[in-house]
Amino acid sequence: MKAFRRGLLVAAMAVAAGVVVRLRAKGSVPSTSGGWRELEGPEFR
Amino acid sequence: MTAVLLVGTGEVAVRAARQLLDTPGLDRLFVAGRDEGRAREIADALGPTMEAVPWPAVGDDGVPHGTDAVAVAVPAGAALEWARRAVRAGVHAAVVADTDDDLGALLALDDDARRAGVTLAVGCGLVPGLGDVLARHAADILDRADEVHVARTGAAGPACVDALRRARHERALEWHDGAWHTSRKLGPLLVWFPDPVGARECEVAAAGASVLLQAVPGAGRVTVRVDEPPVRSPTRALVTRKPLDSGWGAARVEVWGWRGAERVPVVYGVVDRTAVAAGTVLGVTAARLAGLLPSIALRADPASGARGLGALVEPTPFLAELARRGVKAAKFEGVPVG
Repeated sequence: MKAFRRGLLVAAMAVAAGVVVRLRAKGSVPSTSGGWRELEGPEFR
Repeated sequence: MTAVLLVGTGEVAVRAARQLLDTPGLDRLFVAGRDEGRAREIADALGPTMEAVPWPAVGDDGVPHGTDAVAVAVPAGAALEWARRAVRAGVHAAVVADTDDDLGALLALDDDARRAGVTLAVGCGLVPGLGDVLARHAADILDRADEVHVARTGAAGPACVDALRRARHERALEWHDGAWHTSRKLGPLLVWFPDPVGARECEVAAAGASVLLQAVPGAGRVTVRVDEPPVRSPTRALVTRKPLDSGWGAARVEVWGWRGAERVPVVYGVVDRTAVAAGTVLGVTAARLAGLLPSIALRADPASGARGLGALVEPTPFLAELARRGVKAAKFEGVPVG
């Protein structure tokens, strides 16, 4: 019973930590250098 | 009289129907759907050129007499069966396919299609499909292309979402050093698509790699990457904290090769509503196979057999026709990242 309670406690702590990490995460992505230009004219000949 | 049979009543099929009806010279467009009521609704809505035909029983060919080409936009299994029906009936077919197994089974019909004198265009959607044509176009402007990487995001309906999910869970395939390798999943790579899609994390997949290699057969390295399937349920989006499907789909094609003594990349991208892009590719391909749109030359000689779209059509007139219909590709100018 004691081991079961400990297991539950560990699981609850893991879930809580996961929630905190997910909610506080600040995802950012590196930027590219350049841009997109529509294909046109000579590229279609 | 020129007639096309459209198989399917989903989002891609409806867009393909619109594109076919907008093609000069088409006299009849048959539509067959497992949901015959829905097929009749579509036919009624899109005008008198369109006619719903019954979904065939097992063993029945189901291709109406006088059909010049079949456009297939149904989920796996049924798509393969319709490709077999088209070959048996001696009618060209364009087929949308998403998973590696389906693409392999369709390409395996090559001998039968050659014997029947039938052209089977395999993978006529965004990727595989348009991505392969863009890869061929990029390779053509280099002296020698040696690396091809295609990435895709977006899905055009529930069946497409399932296929994308399967593609991410299946073994990943990568072509290098003249052989296929089952690559170990190393996690996603950030891939930049044109706006409004932007950066997405894409994983290497097997689906579409074989037809991409057909498009650029001299490439020493070929990969296809796919994004996570879009979330279509608001509840699921809330629970998973993932953005709700916006309907946008995109492909990014990066080809590396040699121009003179310099090794350079050519990066193309395309972004549109996924169903619109896939439906336009399917419609234009089926119209070409039916003998319409003669300006789109076929690069395969002989044209009969089963092959991917990038190996079948000349990319320049094909892309020009898509652009005329509103599906426009773009070229990345700058330093590519991911």
